[in-house]
Amino acid sequence: MTSLDRRSFVGLAAWATAGMAARGGTRALAQSASPPKLPEITSIPDKLKGSGAVRIAGYGGTAQDAERTAYFQPFEKLSGIKTIDVPGADLNKVKAMVDTGNIEWDVVQLGRSSVKNLMKKGDYFEKIDYELVDVDNIDPLYRYDYALDMLVWSEVMAYRTDAFKSAVPVGWADFWDTRKFPGDRTLTGAGPVTPELEFALMAAGVPADKLYPLDIDKAFASYDKIKASVVKWWETGAVPVQMLSDREVVLASVWNGRMAAIQAAGVPAAISWQQGLLKRDCWAVPKNSPNKANAMKFIAFSTMAVPQARLSMLIPYGFVNGKSAEYLSEHQLGILPSAPAIKSQLVPYNYDWWVDNRDVVVGRWNKWILA
Amino acid sequence: MPSRVTPILLVVPLTLYMLAFYALPVASMLLRSIADPSWTVENYLRLAHDSVFLAVSWNTLRTALVVTLGTLLLGYPVALALSRLRHGAAAVVLAIVLLPFWTSVLVRSYAWMVLLGRRGLINELLLSAGLIDSPLRLLNTPLAVHVAMIHILLPYMILPIASVLRQIDRALLRAAAGLGASPRRVFSQVVLPLSVPGVVAGILLVFVLSLGFYITPALVGGPRDLMLSMLIAQQVDLLNWPYAACLSVALLAMTLLLILVLQRLPAVRAVLRAATQ
Repeated sequence: MTSLDRRSFVGLAAWATAGMAARGGTRALAQSASPPKLPEITSIPDKLKGSGAVRIAGYGGTAQDAERTAYFQPFEKLSGIKTIDVPGADLNKVKAMVDTGNIEWDVVQLGRSSVKNLMKKGDYFEKIDYELVDVDNIDPLYRYDYALDMLVWSEVMAYRTDAFKSAVPVGWADFWDTRKFPGDRTLTGAGPVTPELEFALMAAGVPADKLYPLDIDKAFASYDKIKASVVKWWETGAVPVQMLSDREVVLASVWNGRMAAIQAAGVPAAISWQQGLLKRDCWAVPKNSPNKANAMKFIAFSTMAVPQARLSMLIPYGFVNGKSAEYLSEHQLGILPSAPAIKSQLVPYNYDWWVDNRDVVVGRWNKWILA
Repeated sequence: MPSRVTPILLVVPLTLYMLAFYALPVASMLLRSIADPSWTVENYLRLAHDSVFLAVSWNTLRTALVVTLGTLLLGYPVALALSRLRHGAAAVVLAIVLLPFWTSVLVRSYAWMVLLGRRGLINELLLSAGLIDSPLRLLNTPLAVHVAMIHILLPYMILPIASVLRQIDRALLRAAAGLGASPRRVFSQVVLPLSVPGVVAGILLVFVLSLGFYITPALVGGPRDLMLSMLIAQQVDLLNWPYAACLSVALLAMTLLLILVLQRLPAVRAVLRAATQ
């Protein structure tokens, strides 16, 4: 029982919440009764074809179901390369695999900072083969030597629409304003996730374009002001949406993709995009993967315009290929963090700053939370 | 002389298993805490001055203590009832005790979130009964951690105690009563002392399991309800594996120390002697 490890806990927690959010009878977007009509892809360049297999590790749950439909199935059909996908993607497992020479994953879904953190410790990932990738349509922001972003998401403010009469909180100063917006809150803590010092700084009046390098002292001084109203510092994305559903809190920081499920279940809650953080997941290839060539072909395929658009239709996470927008409706673009009208309200998360400072912030955080 | 060889042969499979899957990993963890990347005791020196580690250790110990006491107080009467009921009724009670045992910890922790929430069952009941005017903060507090952990760990306390109570020779109770002891006296002077082995086993099981809890405190706990397991996970995520190993060794040492201390108690020593004879 206690041997249930924390990773499976995070996955299971996500599953349990998805089940709870579905109480209202409506299912999450990814499993909706009438699946959206997805754009089909009928042929791929010969350089992406091959044989054998590629083993892909994702985060499991509804997101991986969407990836299977959007990427894995068409890739297998068109390339002749068999895809085997498993849940449980984890940075520490990659480290252990490379350290012991027992590579079980050819492609792994991670955050950019995870990849950078591990590259600081040694040569743990293969270089991405950009010869194969649709670089003309992928923003340089999304490209990195050892990883290619493939999913754009946002850490944003969400609120109960029935909590403040007609007032709408916009920006983190409003989140911090407990007089204008009374009620309990939940924010990200330190664990597998990092606390959002950016939000604390914007609440204290630092302009979005002058955030980095983050002023750690100022951020914690700002946190002091909200500490009493934060009933939970969460460490898995299932928790804040659950708390919004159960009316435990009126304001929360959430992963945008989680909101669709509770909104579909009829919970009166909405996203306030202003000053959210633009974050990304990426594909990376563990060093010495036996199917490295296939891995590179898969990565190139999944970041093409049509597969990216297919994913965004199945689950409200954004695309990295600029051409994907052509396949999406106005309505669909209205909930995607990579849609131009929303992207302009968000602040790109600075992975480099966090890679260099995470240790210090977590140390400070632990002392602060226990004080 | 098969009688001398056989007992040793019997434990060979388990010994090999424990060596490969327990002793080796623990040894490699120990090694990592002092030899990664080179020989050093720096991690342990850091540990001694780490105010966060000390505060979290204290919280972990206190939580384990409260949970152990709670399960003992709630579990002993149930175990007693279980040992006195007729066969059919006992089976029903046993099934009720075991039912939560077969449900995942995660599901049970989520169930507590539903029960203890602002709009949860308990608050709604109290509100509609007019006992409170506004919902109580029950979820995301140390109280929630204690309540949920006690619920999850209760079977570990009840089962060993009940099994010991069942084995008590009924003739002893009749003899005591026949010699004029009141029911209360029969309990305090015959039943209670004879049940100590079960109580000790229950306490050890619950305490040691509590020390390693992660999921339940993370889900229902408040901002300050940090457990050592969370601190370890945090360091693993930061890729500070040597320090994480060092924290794990500290947790292991704490557990062993506790067992060692418990072994020194006279009642426990009697139990251990009886078990080895």
